[in-house]
Amino acid sequence: MASLAPRRWLPARLLTSALAPLAVLLALLGIMGALDPAFLSPRHLAVLADESSVILLLATAQTLVILLGGIDLSLAALAGLASVLMALALPALGGIAVPIVLALTTLAGAFQGAVHARAQLPSVVVTLAGMGLWSGLALSIGHTTIAVAAGYSAVAWLDETCFGVPASFVVAVGTLGLLAAGLRWWPVGRRVRAIGLGPRAALLSGIRVDRVKVLAFALAGLLAGLAGTVMVARTSSGNPAIADSLLLPSIAAVVMGGTAMTGGVGGLGRSLIGALTIGVLRSGIAAAGVDPAFEPIAYGIVLVLAVALTIDRRAEAVTK
Amino acid sequence: MNEVLLRVEALGKRYGTVRALDGVSLELRRHEVLGLVGENGAGKSTLLKLLAGLERPDSGRIVLRGQGFTPGNAAAAADAGIGMVFQELSLLPNLSVAENILLGHEDGALRFGFYDWRALNALAAAQLAKLGCRISPSARTDSLSFSERQMVELAKVLAIEERTRHEPVILLDEPTSTLDAGQVELVLAQVERLRSRASVLFVSHRLGEVLRVCDRICVLSQGQCVAVRRREDCSLDELQRLMLQREPGTVGAAAVRASAPPAPAWLQVRSLGLEPHYRDVSFELGAGTVLGLAGAEGSGRDRLCRTLFGAEAPDAGDILLDGQVVRLAGPADAVQKGIAYVPAERQAEGIVAGMSLSDNMTLAQLDSVRRGPFIDLGRERQLVERWTGRLRITPAAPQTPARQLSGGNQQKLVLAKWLVARDPKVLILDRPLRGLDAGARADIVGLVRELAARGIAILLLADTLDELVAMSDSVIVMRDGRVSGRFPATEAAPSKQQILERMV
Repeated sequence: MASLAPRRWLPARLLTSALAPLAVLLALLGIMGALDPAFLSPRHLAVLADESSVILLLATAQTLVILLGGIDLSLAALAGLASVLMALALPALGGIAVPIVLALTTLAGAFQGAVHARAQLPSVVVTLAGMGLWSGLALSIGHTTIAVAAGYSAVAWLDETCFGVPASFVVAVGTLGLLAAGLRWWPVGRRVRAIGLGPRAALLSGIRVDRVKVLAFALAGLLAGLAGTVMVARTSSGNPAIADSLLLPSIAAVVMGGTAMTGGVGGLGRSLIGALTIGVLRSGIAAAGVDPAFEPIAYGIVLVLAVALTIDRRAEAVTK
Repeated sequence: MNEVLLRVEALGKRYGTVRALDGVSLELRRHEVLGLVGENGAGKSTLLKLLAGLERPDSGRIVLRGQGFTPGNAAAAADAGIGMVFQELSLLPNLSVAENILLGHEDGALRFGFYDWRALNALAAAQLAKLGCRISPSARTDSLSFSERQMVELAKVLAIEERTRHEPVILLDEPTSTLDAGQVELVLAQVERLRSRASVLFVSHRLGEVLRVCDRICVLSQGQCVAVRRREDCSLDELQRLMLQREPGTVGAAAVRASAPPAPAWLQVRSLGLEPHYRDVSFELGAGTVLGLAGAEGSGRDRLCRTLFGAEAPDAGDILLDGQVVRLAGPADAVQKGIAYVPAERQAEGIVAGMSLSDNMTLAQLDSVRRGPFIDLGRERQLVERWTGRLRITPAAPQTPARQLSGGNQQKLVLAKWLVARDPKVLILDRPLRGLDAGARADIVGLVRELAARGIAILLLADTLDELVAMSDSVIVMRDGRVSGRFPATEAAPSKQQILERMV
């Protein structure tokens, strides 16, 4: 059917090469540097890195799910729940609280993945419900900001710097690097892409699609827990809504890097660039004295534009 | 009766490299029931789709009531008075009968933009009355039986009559293929009734029905109309003979036909059933043999294959692999037990079009190129290069995107996917030659023979009987969910005629 032939815009080709997002990031840095040379000082770059680490962790988690062809709306809420649990558990349990909370968020992610895969419910629906569930749980446990009364030392190192680089940023980039290597060299990484690009072919090739999905959502849960932990380290407290404002930027970071929402295409390197771009944008908006209310507007526009460029319109005549 | 209502002139339609219609011409007269018969892939469904506005022709033209006519979509075709009754019912189950019948054309039953239910039901009842059936217009469609739903579908098409002030042309695509004998009688009676109100194009695999209700019968083969016969002047035998003519591009049967040694049965199927699709199906498939499974649309053979690949659980009978009863929990389980599947939907189910040749080839057997927990990219590359060479896949570069390969090379890739590590015990080939040109066909046919020679048991579904006969050692035929004929390898190869007799 000729009328339904794909329309690939020229910029789409530019964007699908990894250089384009990188060029956007560098251009943005250049502009900010020209406006205010202090923006590019090592000290400010360290602040930038520190502020980007949580978005980076959430974007990494989101990338794993988006590569499968799904989306996880619950990650920010799960990070909030993790921060509350951590703030409550650290005084009581000390350092052991960290692995326990991370295990819980991993389980929460795996649970969502299992519901999504077994019941064949769209991931949007399952994680939207999850978002309500985790934020509701966090609110009912925590109500408001909970200061870490004791045991903070177990997470304090995340708020320190090592040779001028914030530890939280090192952890985030290290995790991303590890998973990026996994996507390339672990069989399951290949399978994640196959499911995102051709779910039926993947199933008929004997891939255990359910298991791969549960694993990806579980990893996403683990990373959300890690993001919550970093926030506890930074603020010495937990708060149910601590990460709520980060959901949209973390999704925007993934698509800005050029990972397609339809699944399979893209990768974690792109999300690194995307997350840094978002970080620069946030910090730049504040530095330029622009009303921060414009921030979410910018994310919204970025989201639609990036998806418009990367989506594969060949798949269906009518996009739902 | 002799006035020509619809004329099709040299209509052509290609899908990629496949020529689905190759200059079809035919005429439909007023108040006539014209039968359209032909093998699978002869172009019947494509022709109906062009007439109903679902696809556009590449060449030729359609003349309706003396005027050239190219419907851009189904609504335009309906406005011109052409309505199609679909093979798969197009009714919305959660709406009432009346809503379905008038869907998209409720204008006469609206008051201030809202449904006037009484008017709506009255309009629908008038349509149903044309067919003389007493279904309540306010009943929910999903509460109806299958044959009642078919009546509603017919009534929906008849509603075109009022809207266009013309007598409609009605396209019936296999209206009886999923019905039992009693329901078939009902539908045929409806077709008789339609004759006084409309002109009908009737597509069916069941030649007996066609000979009963059609005034004239047009035989399609290879995308062309090869014969038109009046009912009085033709017989079942002649129709069958006409349907089977001309089939270039297949390999001679006798040349590749291996003498069949008694082989151990890798796969045994005992009284397998899945209502309402098939029942009491039994056969054995020996190592190194190719078993052809013949059957028309709705014969249950596709569902049977889905069951054998673990995609659908049977509700009766057993599947035995190597003498052991197995329960297949899903495709992954079937693969692990040694059953591989080459689907007909190559683009969507055979390959992952967005991945590279290399990624696709090792996708099903990634564990075989692992070192520790990691994929050994070097070993993977060697394996892929070995198999692209062996199967002469071109372009051979491992990073070639799979969607850029030609159909034949894609099919080789799908086969390679199952061969790179360890051979499967059973290979299910679903229309492996679909859409391939003559050269690629010969390659794949040769490859299938080679695989059989290596001891793989092959279950084959083919697009045409020529392919089936050419590639199979033995053949079983299904009709209406049952095995209706068996041609074991020990006997002479069946003729297409013999197979067709048991199919229709």
